[in-house]
Amino acid sequence: MTALSESPVETAVDGLVLTVDSVHIRHQVDGREVVKGVGFELAPGRVVGIVGESGSGKTLTCRAVLGILPPLFEVAAGAIHVAGKDVAALSRAELTELRGSTISAVFQDPASYLNPSIPVGPQVAEVIRVKKGAKRREARRRATELLAAVHLRDPELVYTQYPHELSGGMLQRVLIAAAIAAEPRVLIADEATTALDVTVQAEILDLLADLRDSTGLAIVLVSHDLAVVAQLCDEVLVMREGEVVEQGPTEQVLHNPRHDYTRLLVAEHEQYGLDRFLEES
Amino acid sequence: MTVLDVRDLEVHYGHRRQRRRALAGASLSIDAGEIVGLIGETGSGKSTFARAALGLVRPSAGRIVIDGEDVTGHRERQWRAVRRRGVVQYVFQDPLRSLDPDLTIGDSLMEPLLLKGVPRREAVDRARAYLGRVRLDDELLTRLPEQLSGGQRQRVAVARALITEPRLIILDEPVSALDAATRVQVLEILKDLRTAGIALLFISHDLGSVAGIADRVAVLYRGEVVEVGTAREVVTKPSHPYTRLLIGSAPTLRTAAAGRAERAALRELLHSGKGTPR
Amino acid sequence: MFSLASGRIAVVVLVGVGLLAVFGPLLAPHDPLATSPDTLVGPSGGHWLGTDYLGRDVFSRLLDGSRVSVVGALEVTVMALVVGAIPGILSVYLGRVFEWITLRVADTLVALPFLLFAVAVTALLGNGITQAMFVTGALVSPLFYRVGRAATLAVARSQYVEAALISGASLGWIIRRHVWGKVLPPIAVALAQTLGVGFIIVSSLSFLGIGVQPPAPTWGGLLAADLGYLSYQPWAPFAPALLIMVTVWAGNVLADAIRDVSGGAGRALADSRKAALVGGRA
Repeated sequence: MTALSESPVETAVDGLVLTVDSVHIRHQVDGREVVKGVGFELAPGRVVGIVGESGSGKTLTCRAVLGILPPLFEVAAGAIHVAGKDVAALSRAELTELRGSTISAVFQDPASYLNPSIPVGPQVAEVIRVKKGAKRREARRRATELLAAVHLRDPELVYTQYPHELSGGMLQRVLIAAAIAAEPRVLIADEATTALDVTVQAEILDLLADLRDSTGLAIVLVSHDLAVVAQLCDEVLVMREGEVVEQGPTEQVLHNPRHDYTRLLVAEHEQYGLDRFLEES
Repeated sequence: MTVLDVRDLEVHYGHRRQRRRALAGASLSIDAGEIVGLIGETGSGKSTFARAALGLVRPSAGRIVIDGEDVTGHRERQWRAVRRRGVVQYVFQDPLRSLDPDLTIGDSLMEPLLLKGVPRREAVDRARAYLGRVRLDDELLTRLPEQLSGGQRQRVAVARALITEPRLIILDEPVSALDAATRVQVLEILKDLRTAGIALLFISHDLGSVAGIADRVAVLYRGEVVEVGTAREVVTKPSHPYTRLLIGSAPTLRTAAAGRAERAALRELLHSGKGTPR
Repeated sequence: MFSLASGRIAVVVLVGVGLLAVFGPLLAPHDPLATSPDTLVGPSGGHWLGTDYLGRDVFSRLLDGSRVSVVGALEVTVMALVVGAIPGILSVYLGRVFEWITLRVADTLVALPFLLFAVAVTALLGNGITQAMFVTGALVSPLFYRVGRAATLAVARSQYVEAALISGASLGWIIRRHVWGKVLPPIAVALAQTLGVGFIIVSSLSFLGIGVQPPAPTWGGLLAADLGYLSYQPWAPFAPALLIMVTVWAGNVLADAIRDVSGGAGRALADSRKAALVGGRA
């Protein structure tokens, strides 16, 4: 992990890299509130998890944080601060500057975020050239380092390969490499492991944990699976129909769930999952 | 009583130079009333195994016996006869795509019966009865698939598989497309089938999703069944390194079964033995 | 439901054109071939649309020419359906050899330069309406082949067809129950549009002197003749041009309406059909 140079940790006064303060998101036309008050804080090297079904508002929350809400949706109330800066107060250019360099994201379907007709290496190098102003040769060297940093075997070879030559897990690693290329403070992983095999999912989660440990990256991990979130997170939010029904330290949410919905999620794993056997042993 | 007995099954895809081995001598047998989980990840050959058991791909070696009938060398016509008896049924992962969008739920449900030669009037009665069996209202008979929720659709798909009173149902990740509440509901329905003596072959990439329901678990790795045992044995005392990795990778609510370092070591071990499993 | 309303108007227009084809020649007030000394006169009570350069009544010629024009367009369509759409559907099911051969034939037909092929065939088989329609039918058939094949492929690979197969369905059962209903809408879309294209082709062929021979009138032939006398009668081309345009428009609108009603699948196929057309004719 030495490949990733440690960026000096400059934070807001209170040491938080991301604060989301009771954010409400509303549809502009029908006035429907799709997210009803989400709030959490994230310090460097910490991981917060958001759990919920599709349509629970978890993805919209992430998009609001990134300043890329889909058309007709707006933040109706609350505030989002990324590294001390109020996202709502930023101009479009400043937001673009913020994304990638301070906060970045990976999503569910990695293949759709890569250009199929260009090898993956230059696509990572492009991020470095745009965000860090690096020269071509320097960008290539740095991109290869990043591909190694996300545990891709033979990064020199992967650099020259096209997206269709790589598996889903490898593509997700490439995207993570691109996402951390400009050394952001916060990484949002929205269902980033959902489409992957179990062993590959574990590899990606392990990679995120490594990045957190080695660079102090703060992570927002979004998943429909409580167990995935449990692997990595310090704090968990359980969302349902736009509302946060449960929020607290991971241990507390897993072992002492208060809301019925959280209990259902926990019970499902205990009844049908591996937990049933692991508890006995 | 064995409903499916597969011995040393080999399946190849493609011709000559592009010939690729999808199954490399996989063996598995399933008894009546048993729920078996077949675990395998992308490229393990799990879909090929199911397709071979349904006669959709031709094995290049090995033997398949379904309910006492050796179907290994069956031609298309013989397969059609086997299928029409409805001994083996299949449930797809995504019920929205496995139900014809233009046919009513009733028509989709009755299709296997009509193919079997059951008179239409009797087929309608049976469709109604089986809809009840998966706890759905029979007013759904005249609806189209798009008017049903995901959980309802998957229950219709299960009813469609049950309607010919099969000995074996093969299910491909039947609950992974559903949300938590309906997932439990569908799993409960499937669990109840055991008492009716129907065998279930649950195919999944995630051991965690079948461990709670399966009596036995088989792990498929690079075209071979590398481990078979009761769910408890496999989960608590895995013998093959790949199984250990699978269990160590499965997300659980407790701290993961294997630590990061242990997983990394297992990956290294499997990677070094590339091409020759075990 | 704008498209439904305009679809109805299109149907009305097409029925009107059909009636014109059946009864038009009977309604003609004058002999469409009879010449007179009053050449190139303007519209009047006796000659509603005036006369042409040989003194023939333009209105009667339009009415009389409608039958052969419509029949020609229909012949093209039927030909395209029989040698295009049906082999297209069957190409998915009748095995690799049939598939390979029909695909190559379709590619070849697409690659042929239309006018050269038309001239060659008429030189070989003689110049007549049937020969001309054979040519055009053969040339639009790849479009139908591809539409039929694409629609069938989309259905043939679907899980519900596989589900039926697993329940022991035969090929006939699958086509009857699952394929037919989904392949028809996109073919109907292509058909409605080809009706329009057929008109243009019949008309443009007679414009070039292939197919219908003078003095027998067709809409396209009239248009061609009128264009020669633009300086004397600048308004004359409007009547035949309008008829052709309205009919083609109706065909296209009807195609759109069918596509909208039949939903997303039809739309996707219509787009692929457009791509095939652009790729083929470019």
